[in-house]
Amino acid sequence: MPDMQSWEQQVAAPTTHNVEFRGRGREYFRIWIVNIALTLLTLGIYSAWAKVRTQRYFYGNTFVAGHSFEYHASAWRILLGRAIALALFAGYSLSVIVVPVSFSLWLLVLGAALPWLANSSIRFNARNTSWRNVRFNFNASYFEAFIAYVVWSVAAIALFFLIPYTRRVHDYFYVNHHRFGGRGFSTEFSAGRIYAIYLFGFIVIVGFLVVVLGLAAGVMVAETRLHEYTKYLQIPGVSLDYGVIVFSLFGLGAAFVTTFVTTMVTNLTISNTSIEGGHRLSSRAAPLRVAWIVLSNTALTLLTLGLYYPFARIRLARYRMGKYALIANGDLDDFTSEALETQSAIGQEIAGFFDFGFGL
Amino acid sequence: MSMLEGRYFYPNAARFVPARASVVPKRILQIEDENGDVLAQVLGRQVKITARLASLLRRFDLPDGGRFETADNDGADALIWALRKRRRGRFADRLERAWPIAGLSLLITLFAGYYFMAQALPVAAEWLARKTLPAVAHTMSEQTLMALDRFAVTPTKLTAAEQFKATKLFMRVAAHARGGPGAYRLVFRGGGRMGPNAFALPDGTIVMTDPLWALIKNDAEIEGVFAHEMSHVDHAHGLQRVYEASLIPAALAIFTGDISQISQMAAILPGVIAQSAYSRGFEQQADDDGAATLRSMGEKPSHMADLLERMDKTICGKQACPASWIGDHPQTAARAARLRLEDFGPIVTGEDCRAPWRTGISLHCLGIVTH
Repeated sequence: MPDMQSWEQQVAAPTTHNVEFRGRGREYFRIWIVNIALTLLTLGIYSAWAKVRTQRYFYGNTFVAGHSFEYHASAWRILLGRAIALALFAGYSLSVIVVPVSFSLWLLVLGAALPWLANSSIRFNARNTSWRNVRFNFNASYFEAFIAYVVWSVAAIALFFLIPYTRRVHDYFYVNHHRFGGRGFSTEFSAGRIYAIYLFGFIVIVGFLVVVLGLAAGVMVAETRLHEYTKYLQIPGVSLDYGVIVFSLFGLGAAFVTTFVTTMVTNLTISNTSIEGGHRLSSRAAPLRVAWIVLSNTALTLLTLGLYYPFARIRLARYRMGKYALIANGDLDDFTSEALETQSAIGQEIAGFFDFGFGL
Repeated sequence: MSMLEGRYFYPNAARFVPARASVVPKRILQIEDENGDVLAQVLGRQVKITARLASLLRRFDLPDGGRFETADNDGADALIWALRKRRRGRFADRLERAWPIAGLSLLITLFAGYYFMAQALPVAAEWLARKTLPAVAHTMSEQTLMALDRFAVTPTKLTAAEQFKATKLFMRVAAHARGGPGAYRLVFRGGGRMGPNAFALPDGTIVMTDPLWALIKNDAEIEGVFAHEMSHVDHAHGLQRVYEASLIPAALAIFTGDISQISQMAAILPGVIAQSAYSRGFEQQADDDGAATLRSMGEKPSHMADLLERMDKTICGKQACPASWIGDHPQTAARAARLRLEDFGPIVTGEDCRAPWRTGISLHCLGIVTH
């Protein structure tokens, strides 16, 4: 039962509930590998159930204030959504191969469908998520999604200095249309702060580029000198292309900076989020730590030919989730669900098929 | 029937009380609070119960929006049994619990992965390549050539007489090749970034660069190159590579569930290895076919070997080319040796990189070159 403090005391001293992730790598490994095997044996049909079980595992192991989240999506709906998305994707691929010009037509269709895809995909996830028997919800109009995901995205592609601002538009769109038990989420922060993060990332990547190219040049000079002494010796071994090394180092740096910036932006957005009723959220993940986890996870996954993947996901979730917190202002008992109708998974699955990620 | 300990949430609300669930006669689920006061009574068939998964809380969703939840999964299973309801997810949960099953699943996955890479994928790519409409192949070739013109090659500087001579040799080879004279077209380009090279496009267009022509010492050498490239056209190797490259990520996305950042990067490795193994197979097939064509014209395939080695020297200087980890062409020395053997007739034994399940996977087919 909630503690017996008086209402006034609780208002005076908000309680911080840290999010806790209780999933275990060994447990999830078994779920993951059985999911893959069953999906293979059923020629892909089980993939919908696999998705639901995976989502349920991650949601159900994420606890706030002693209660876990729940994922409610029906596998049948996801299967139907996947079938439709697959048919559309096949139609798209086929028509682009046969009539290459149709690509521009598809681009237009996709642009028109994008706001709908964004809305239905985020809404599907929100409505199928609950905490303490209360559902989340997401409500945004086609027009709002069009402005956020089409107009601003195009602007950011055209004018790169608008990228941070566009990111804020996307985050505002995502957070400010979410609701929990009928109470809205809202986030607000100055554009200067998001520009500072991107500027920092930009400086890091330029610095990294200079260092890598400098190193490469240095190594090449050293190699040429060395070559003069060793050219008469037949040295066995495998020589690597410097272009490949420089390229992969640069890719590594880019992945590092991307993770770094994303983590900082998420911290910024979430830490400025409040829920109607005076509750607040916070996110305090250390960007360096997240980048380290992501990069070492990738390396270990590659080295183990994918076997480390489930452990990698758990490791990241354990750290990432553990750094979120809910700062409750008073009682968490008085949330009640809105009346919601269930909806189809079609938009969400199409979005997934075309690899659109909507969210933070 | 014992009591199941848990929590009861009021309809659609976050408010809850500690509660107990039990089954009363007529398959009715009864939920009562700690004092024994009844909170809800619902017909068993109206209750929705979540499938068992790891040690997640089990949820009993009541039709009015109320909910009972418990951490006692075995107790929940017993209660569902007493309600005569189906215990959903029990089978999957049992599989997910057992390490031997995880081991078996791993074996199934590895086997399926190997089968897909070694058999299903090449067969599917070949089938798609054969079914590809000529118009499509033509469009693809045009676009490739346009891209090459823009970024990699320059206009040819060969004189009309040289072009005429090359075309005459080309037509002579085409008459002996599988597709016949109408199936191929020779076009000339300057070297640009490509250096001495020749390559085939899906619609039968074969591109030869000026530096390659400059290297020729003997007509049979360039005829061997033409025959080699015509084999690539005959077998639609270019299209097969395109299909293989797009089928691998698609299959991975479908079977491993969501493709996220990590798996995407991990997915690159098998793709690169497989591609490289397949392309080695393609090169070997083209070499073998080219040698056969040369023999049918009364020429010696060893001329191709001479040219290969000369190309290598031009590209890499006086020393042999540095071995690359994953290169596009099998090591030149090995190819040249094999081509010299072709002088004495077709090679019937030996490894076939296209069918590793028959001859086993060799380092050579994987593209790993040792000095």
